[in-house]
Amino acid sequence: MADTARAFEDWQALSRRYWDAWNDATRNAFATSTQTAQADALPWHEGLEQWSRMFSQAGSQSEIVERLLTGAKSYFALLQSMAAKSANGSDAFDAKAWTDTLRESFNFPGADASLFDNPLARALREVAGKGAKSIEELSKGAEPWMREAQTLLGLPAFGYLREHQEHYQKFAQAMLDQQQQTNRYNALLARASGRAFELLEDKLAARAEPGRQIDSVRALYDLWVDAAEDAYAEIALSDEFREVYGALVNAQMRVRKHVQEEVERVATDLGMPTRTEIDSMGKRLHEVRRELKQRDEVTAELAALRAEIEKLKGASGKAKASAKRATKTRKG
Amino acid sequence: MEPIRIDPARALDEALRAQSKLAAGMRTLREVEDVDYGATDKEAIYREDKVVVYRFKGKNKPTAKAPILICYALVNRPYMVDLQDDRSLVKNLLALGEDVYLIDWGYPDGADRWLTLDDYINGYIRRCVDAVAKHAGVKKINLLGICQGGAFSLCFASLHQDKLQNLITMVTPVDFHTPDNMLSHWTRGMDVDLFVDTLGNVPADLMNWCYLTLKPVRLNQQKYIGMLDILDDKTELENFLRMEKWIFDSPDQAGEAFRQFIKDFYQGNKLVKGGLKIGEREVSLKNITIPVLNIFAEQDHLVPPSASRPLGEHIGTKDYTQLAFKGGHIGIYVSGRAQREVPPAIHHWLGERTR
Repeated sequence: MADTARAFEDWQALSRRYWDAWNDATRNAFATSTQTAQADALPWHEGLEQWSRMFSQAGSQSEIVERLLTGAKSYFALLQSMAAKSANGSDAFDAKAWTDTLRESFNFPGADASLFDNPLARALREVAGKGAKSIEELSKGAEPWMREAQTLLGLPAFGYLREHQEHYQKFAQAMLDQQQQTNRYNALLARASGRAFELLEDKLAARAEPGRQIDSVRALYDLWVDAAEDAYAEIALSDEFREVYGALVNAQMRVRKHVQEEVERVATDLGMPTRTEIDSMGKRLHEVRRELKQRDEVTAELAALRAEIEKLKGASGKAKASAKRATKTRKG
Repeated sequence: MEPIRIDPARALDEALRAQSKLAAGMRTLREVEDVDYGATDKEAIYREDKVVVYRFKGKNKPTAKAPILICYALVNRPYMVDLQDDRSLVKNLLALGEDVYLIDWGYPDGADRWLTLDDYINGYIRRCVDAVAKHAGVKKINLLGICQGGAFSLCFASLHQDKLQNLITMVTPVDFHTPDNMLSHWTRGMDVDLFVDTLGNVPADLMNWCYLTLKPVRLNQQKYIGMLDILDDKTELENFLRMEKWIFDSPDQAGEAFRQFIKDFYQGNKLVKGGLKIGEREVSLKNITIPVLNIFAEQDHLVPPSASRPLGEHIGTKDYTQLAFKGGHIGIYVSGRAQREVPPAIHHWLGERTR
């Protein structure tokens, strides 16, 4: 508890330093370059990191703090860039300069350099799903296999270990193919990111009318999100994206399948049951259960029909008996 | 005029406000309990494998002549229809006198890997419908299918219409090949046999990742920046977290059922093109001649309205009603507008057909 309180105080002190510096820099329209440089030098993103660390033991809440932090980093970077731009801006509006500022604000300190100028790719990378991450982890884990397989790729397979060698060759080809498809996919995302800034310039042009002007950083950010989603949708609904997306998913599955086969081979050598065997048993069990259910239903249907026949028999017996009685009475 | 007029002082104020929200978040995020869901009492009336049928208990006895059975999608959990006290389709239907039941599919695991659409539609749904009819003491019930559950309900109605009085579909895809259907567009390049043969059951995280990538910036970044605004409001934060819990509380998908759903619905578009077989029997929307109410959301990014609207062209019934709701795929259950508009529309439509 004491640690948390101390961490909170540290974070407040850091934040205060940062915002005081920015207060000085932005409130003074004639801010000196030294003041702005001082503000720039302060690690605003470190403040956010420190804030999130205070929730590291918060259980179910810690993941949501992570997500909040990821979004807030971009937003605070944008706030900082825009405040600086506003404070130092000239009279003439330059849409390109503003969008450049916006673009740069997504390349904040600590961001993955491979995702610079590609906020859409970053947004996708930041989707914190195990399913998404597992492919990357799988690729990393398979790197030693990859290195081994690559050396064998160009050689013809023969002899006692021919089957194994061919397997490694196919595995390596699958890994290479996955890398190629990933590159094609990333290239499309980069194209969508570039298009997002073009669309933003169009959207900004439409905001030049009186009453429609952007007067807050949040409004500008929201407009950028609209542009980014429009650009992404344009690409994502194209035939090219469909082909690349399908090829990427299929390539990932082929790699995963090769890994599974390798694991099964080792499991077999160790005398352990494999996933294929368990699946096979599961399938048979499922078929048996389905047959049993069908039989149960037929049995229940038969029982219902028998009950109905008995009822009808009973009714017909009663009718016969009463008809007999009626005949007797007439005769008598 | 210049399109951007951001006053430096205002930008600073925004930053300071965001910072004060972060500070408040330190307190509120620690105060909120693990959010719960489900506003209405319920009892289990039927169980089979992992499937449970619940009957919701209203404050008053139902006045409706036939019960409603809600058939939810296999993706995501069905408690979206009864999320919290002031956001509950179920609660509002009960208050109007409806008798509401719901199929909870549970969380499939390896044992469910081989479940097919035949098992789900001709098996589970048929037996759930029978169980509800028996429990309610009626011969026919009303079926309300949601999203993928709506597509299942259409198949069920085509094959077992004698068990139904009315059919309601909500945010249900019918034509899977409309140009704005991003999910369908992406699945058409996939080798779904390789996909299912490799993965077995389809992991929930993979499904979630796919949904998030439909709108990557809005769903993965803008939403959490918006969260900054409510960090100092415990109730709003709890509502946010409850929704967040629902979004990511997803079951894995039974492999064989997933394979067939992608092949026949997303890739083959057989619900409208024909040739769809569930088990041994062919499904035709023309077979459905009972009254049908089709409700869709105008801003739905998962099931675009263009995918739902064509139901009227393909269905056999002469009693077809269509209702366009102003909102999204989730808003149709949880927004304030949904609470005011959707339950009364369903109740009124059913009332006209069951009196």
